[in-house]
Amino acid sequence: MSVFDRLQKQLDIQKREHGISALELADLPPNLRKIMRLMLREVVLKYTDLCHAVEAMPAANRLSKPELDSALKTLVEQNWLLCTGEGEFLSYRVNLRRKAGSSLNKDIWASLDNRIAGSKSQEAPNQKINPGG
Amino acid sequence: MSKIISVHSFRGGTGKSNTTANLAALLALQGNRVGVVDTDVQSPGIHVLFGLDESQMAHSLNDYLYGKCAITETAVDVTSNLKVPVKGKVFLIPSSIKAGEIARVLREGYDVGLLNDGFQDLLEGLKLDFLLIDTHPGLNEETLLSIAISDALVIIMRPDQQDYQGTGVTVEIARKLGVPAMLLVVNKVPQAFDPAEVKAKVERIYNCTVAAVLPHSDEMMALASAGIFSLQYPDHPVAAKYKQLAAQLMA
Repeated sequence: MSVFDRLQKQLDIQKREHGISALELADLPPNLRKIMRLMLREVVLKYTDLCHAVEAMPAANRLSKPELDSALKTLVEQNWLLCTGEGEFLSYRVNLRRKAGSSLNKDIWASLDNRIAGSKSQEAPNQKINPGG
Repeated sequence: MSKIISVHSFRGGTGKSNTTANLAALLALQGNRVGVVDTDVQSPGIHVLFGLDESQMAHSLNDYLYGKCAITETAVDVTSNLKVPVKGKVFLIPSSIKAGEIARVLREGYDVGLLNDGFQDLLEGLKLDFLLIDTHPGLNEETLLSIAISDALVIIMRPDQQDYQGTGVTVEIARKLGVPAMLLVVNKVPQAFDPAEVKAKVERIYNCTVAAVLPHSDEMMALASAGIFSLQYPDHPVAAKYKQLAAQLMA
């Protein structure tokens, strides 16, 4: 992996840390939420395709072009949508925040790992772990 | 166009996985290609209903989330496990039942964006008509994500005071997220209750369609997740209700 690849990976990780959590989606203003829902289903959309998708929405839900542009600007500024390319290649994708791990003391997890490893080594070679305990 | 359907309940033990498995089988019976994702990574279980054991899971959803394989590689074709002739297909994307891998998810978290990408890859890669998402009870990241991307949300509840309150929370969130269709299923209703009364009461409380009122069934309890109920008891009243529900989702 080159230095540039590593830097790019680091930048991607930093962006993910500032992404939106699924919990926050519900509290977005309606126009932002509509765009985010659409983008979640499409994963990546070019701006022109996004405009078409919005036009295809039911009349009651449809955003005008200024409303769409304003929503996109806000979502990109917040790092909730990632924007790449220019002109006809301008495209967007949702930036979902990574699900946080446990904040429990690391010793607790180390102890659990040891116990799991211990129980595995005590098993007969073909015996399975019974998750029901 | 393919549909994503999330099956959710606020509390555990409502019959969520059973409902998901029955719907998957009935949709496949009608010739559909159906994917079932077990996003209950903390307490997976739906694989049992499809007769899948650990030795048959070459990969799991956990492997995909930690970059070990593509999500389509985790899909197991469980159609033959249904043990009845089925026109369509059922693919299960199981979560790992290894204690160490469950602990890893809890300890490290995971990339939620990758989970969403995975749902879309499954629709495309397996040419699915339906993707059913079996969620973890309550509200968490993966549950809210699956609700947000769904075309339809099926909320399972029992006629129990704790379920009534929790279901209210889920309905409110689903409305905020603008889920296009929301169907309530009241499950495990005691035989002494009048189903019409239960339906009317629940619809009045949540101002939401009750798609089915499923009576408590001793046969279902006796089956004990050892198979798909509506395939093993096709003439049972509960199977008839599942068929109605599947028909509503196909409409």
